[in-house]
Amino acid sequence: MKFTYSWLKEHLETEHQYNEVVDKLTAIGLEVESVQDTGLAYKDFIVGQVLEEEKHPNADKLKLCKVDIGREKVDVVCGAPNVTKGMKVVYAPVGCVIPVNQMKIKAAKIRGVESYGMMCSEYELGISNEHDGIISLEQDTEVGSSYADLSGMNDILIEIGITPNRQDCLGVLGVARDLAAAGVGKLKNREFKTEKGSFESPIKIEIQDNDICPAFAGSYIKNVKNVASPDWLQKKLKSIGLRPISALVDITNYVMFDQNRPLHVYDADQVKGKIIVRSAQDGESFKALDEKTYNLKNGMCTISDEEKVLGLGGIMGGESTGCNFDTINVLLESALFDNVNTARTGRDLSILSDARYRFERGIDPRSTLEGIHYATQLILEICGGECSEIVLAGQISETLNTIHISGKNIVKRLGLEITDDEIILILNSLGFGAKKSGENIHCTIPSWRQDIHGEADISEEIIRIKGYENIPTSNIRAISKVNKDILNSTQKIISKAKHFIASEGYNEFITFSFSDSKKSIFFGEVEKLKIINPISEDLDILRPSLIPNLLGSIKKNTARGIDSLSIFEAGSQYSSTTPEDQINSICGVKYGLSNSKTWRSEKKEFDIFDVKNDLLNVINYLVPGNKKISISDEAPSWYHPGRSGKIILNKKIEIGYFGELHPRIANKFKIKTRVNLFELMIDNVPLTEKKTTNKPQLILSDFQSVTRDFAFILDKDVKSSDLIKAALNVDTKIIKSAEIFDLFEDKSLGDDKKSMAIKVVLQSEEKTLDENDINSLSSKIVEAIEKSTSGTVRS
Amino acid sequence: MVDFTKLEQEITNSLSKVTDLESLNECRIKYLGKKGEISLLMKELANLSGEDRKKQAEILNTLKNKTLSLIEDKTEELNDKNLNEKLSSETLDITLPVSSSLGSIHPITQVIEEVVTIFGDLDFYVAEGPEVETDYNNFTALNTSEHHPARQMHDTFYVETQTDNMQNVLRTHTSPVQIRSMLEHKPPIRLIAPGKTFRCDNDQTHSPMFHQVEGLVIDQESNMSHLKGCLEIFLKTFFETDKLKMRFRPSHFPFTEPSAEVDIGYTKKGNQLVIGEGDDWLEILGCGMVHPKVLQNVNIDPNSFQGYAFGMGIERLAMLKYGISDLRTFFECDLRWNKHYGFSPLNFPSLIRDLS
Repeated sequence: MKFTYSWLKEHLETEHQYNEVVDKLTAIGLEVESVQDTGLAYKDFIVGQVLEEEKHPNADKLKLCKVDIGREKVDVVCGAPNVTKGMKVVYAPVGCVIPVNQMKIKAAKIRGVESYGMMCSEYELGISNEHDGIISLEQDTEVGSSYADLSGMNDILIEIGITPNRQDCLGVLGVARDLAAAGVGKLKNREFKTEKGSFESPIKIEIQDNDICPAFAGSYIKNVKNVASPDWLQKKLKSIGLRPISALVDITNYVMFDQNRPLHVYDADQVKGKIIVRSAQDGESFKALDEKTYNLKNGMCTISDEEKVLGLGGIMGGESTGCNFDTINVLLESALFDNVNTARTGRDLSILSDARYRFERGIDPRSTLEGIHYATQLILEICGGECSEIVLAGQISETLNTIHISGKNIVKRLGLEITDDEIILILNSLGFGAKKSGENIHCTIPSWRQDIHGEADISEEIIRIKGYENIPTSNIRAISKVNKDILNSTQKIISKAKHFIASEGYNEFITFSFSDSKKSIFFGEVEKLKIINPISEDLDILRPSLIPNLLGSIKKNTARGIDSLSIFEAGSQYSSTTPEDQINSICGVKYGLSNSKTWRSEKKEFDIFDVKNDLLNVINYLVPGNKKISISDEAPSWYHPGRSGKIILNKKIEIGYFGELHPRIANKFKIKTRVNLFELMIDNVPLTEKKTTNKPQLILSDFQSVTRDFAFILDKDVKSSDLIKAALNVDTKIIKSAEIFDLFEDKSLGDDKKSMAIKVVLQSEEKTLDENDINSLSSKIVEAIEKSTSGTVRS
Repeated sequence: MVDFTKLEQEITNSLSKVTDLESLNECRIKYLGKKGEISLLMKELANLSGEDRKKQAEILNTLKNKTLSLIEDKTEELNDKNLNEKLSSETLDITLPVSSSLGSIHPITQVIEEVVTIFGDLDFYVAEGPEVETDYNNFTALNTSEHHPARQMHDTFYVETQTDNMQNVLRTHTSPVQIRSMLEHKPPIRLIAPGKTFRCDNDQTHSPMFHQVEGLVIDQESNMSHLKGCLEIFLKTFFETDKLKMRFRPSHFPFTEPSAEVDIGYTKKGNQLVIGEGDDWLEILGCGMVHPKVLQNVNIDPNSFQGYAFGMGIERLAMLKYGISDLRTFFECDLRWNKHYGFSPLNFPSLIRDLS
């Protein structure tokens, strides 16, 4: 909310400088967002008087003027048609900056005549669009005086952020009241006459639904003359950035910003019969003051007459009864509208208005009559006319809410020693009626504090005024621990996996949890993942997989000349938009060059075995100890069918996938070269309970180990795992390992044939193997492999 | 009688002339080989007897040992010479480049791990909740009813599924984890909940996805002074400074009462923010005492239990601590950015080694 310091001082009598008041505002929870010295732009402008005025010798439309500016007399060339001798003007001296265009005034020759400074129009000063002539000030204005002081621009504009609970501070009066309670001044009591009214209002008011509108007060004022608002009122509205419209409208706005009391004024001659406050019917429509037509729904609060809807209660008035300069008779409304209903209606119709903002936060019921009396008085003063007696439909609750609080509980909540007497003092300064009642304190809640319901709310009032800086600092280290583990097993797995994968050369990316349905169809059921109000068309679903967003980043990076990309993301993917269907996953992507051509190596591209290696390494790291890992070629459909695999842990857990991205998908993402990736299904990683910190006993054989190599000619589709399995099964005790060390294909081997070589390590735990043992095992190995693969050993 | 002095002289002479290992070996064979001069003389000792034999044997042994020692010295000298020759021919251009193969950890991960490390030390466990939440957990249970004005400040993403006839949402803050955790555990509770949050907002200073960390303490006595103590330890440890200036000021969140926002003091030096110095204030987090209604909603008796909660933005912490100026760059996936602002994977935040 915006207000000026001078406006605040109309309600607050204070000796404090504005900066002290600004600090206090923030300290009591009315956070100052900006402070602006509005006079700054006008500080150099001074009042001058035109002493002489004659035609420019070289230009028909220009005049040569001699201007008295108090300290001296200067020559000014002026093009304004309205400049006359004796006129009091706003003079901008040389060096002064013109607010509207930031032009700096220089001494200059204009058509051969020296000119010092400039006489300004309202447009040039940025205070209106009037640029037909220069400003003509009142004749009694003192020559040489500061224009900033004179115009009232010399002020401080303060903008504060009002939290949703502090509805009472949406008017300058409320801000002043809070400041007074905090000890920076005294609240002034503004006196105004309560007009009795000389006749009965010809417009009756009927409330049909008291839930949506508990009270509606009306004041009929006849024979008004709607004029442009007087200077003081225009300046006030302009000072907080509002555009003056006409006195009737300006007065209601002024009262709203001053006292937080929304009002509305109807052209009474356009009201047919009585005012009826009722719920709208489905299908009704209404043209509001913003010139838009709204379709109303049952439950919305309308202000209607006997024919049509005139306005939406607490939100916006209608065009048909809007006031203009021809309006003669008016009805002034001051009402109470239900906050929930106002919020719902405003949201359903997408209408933002100052009235809605206030009513949905809750309005002081007692402001209903105060507001209508004050505004009536202002209308009579400015527009003349005669007012009726106030008509009040519905009821304004007179009783104030009360609560009992315990000083002990306040102390316990705040951690601050404070006596009951001080609590009572603070509450009373805020307008609460607080007094001792046995062990407790009895509080009457002021009508303007709609946010106070219980002891917790009171505790905030106490500490707000006492000052948050007075809360002591206490140690929170407890003697006995509350929690056994800080991280759970899954959290540990994710953290370990991230660091491990990054240590394998991958850079961690974090992408949006959203994704593009068009590019995600390959990875899941996108129609189950829709976001109702997406931020953009290409982020319209929750991602079914981490893959599409990472693929999207490939193109961006290659466009920047990056030819080697190893990236991963650890995060959630979704199988539906219910809270339960969130899946933890890690995806690693390798794209481009594994090695660039360097002085010591040839250039090499990443391949599927790079990602297979990385995935297996991380699985071995996350699942230490004995386990069985098998690899099948049944990877999900987004992988290349012939270049991908699935890793199965302990025969049944699908723990991860790896392979080349399906070329069709790569194409869709406009990626031209092969992309290799892996996925690690975090939720499937077994959570192993550590039974002991001991490692299994280490048994080392002291007998020599022997290595034997065997090569086979095999059909192309024979898998290396078949060779290894066959070799290991020959003697699980003595054969310590079997590894593939050579692989090649050549025409000489025959069509669809390949050569694969295996290195077997033999070692007994009982003796040194002799030549016989070794030969016998070797032939068994050859035999077993030949049998299981239908291959032949190469001699 | 053999002239031992002459022989010794001869051996010394010929060894001193040797310049390579091959000739040295020839020399060794000449004197100490099976048929070498000294060896032959040793054999001849058998023909002598008595005092002569004893005397001659003594002389021969001395000569043999001396010869061995000379050969050993010479061997070492020649090896040394050879090695020096080899070394002088083995120079490489050691300025030729090599490459590192470590990847990097994202600053968000780093900061979350730092936060977890600090609060873990203060006995807070890490709680989690789903990113798609029920309207009830995200708002209603947190004392933010359907028409509460605070809801409008959250630009909420809605999804097509429903729970109890209310549209599910992408959580707008990590606070629903409070609700889930309090329903699951009885007090005392000490937790933090880092995670992703979503708001329908996308401009210079807003991202539709961002990260928060929530804190919650519920027991019988934790009050605002403990909240202050807790945040003071956290902020000083996180920003790695003892000079931290902290300011609490009143604010409003529907789920805390009293509520506060916390500012920290900073100054600007050139383009850099220096935390802990200067007179300017920077908002860093929101907090307060858990609202009694929130406790009632999770079946905890507010007359017996109380406590505090706080929440802060991970990106903001990262930006302030590591001098990252633009929020949106966190999720732009520009490898150059990740390499610059990322962290070594071997860098596990620790309070006994380094936090960052």
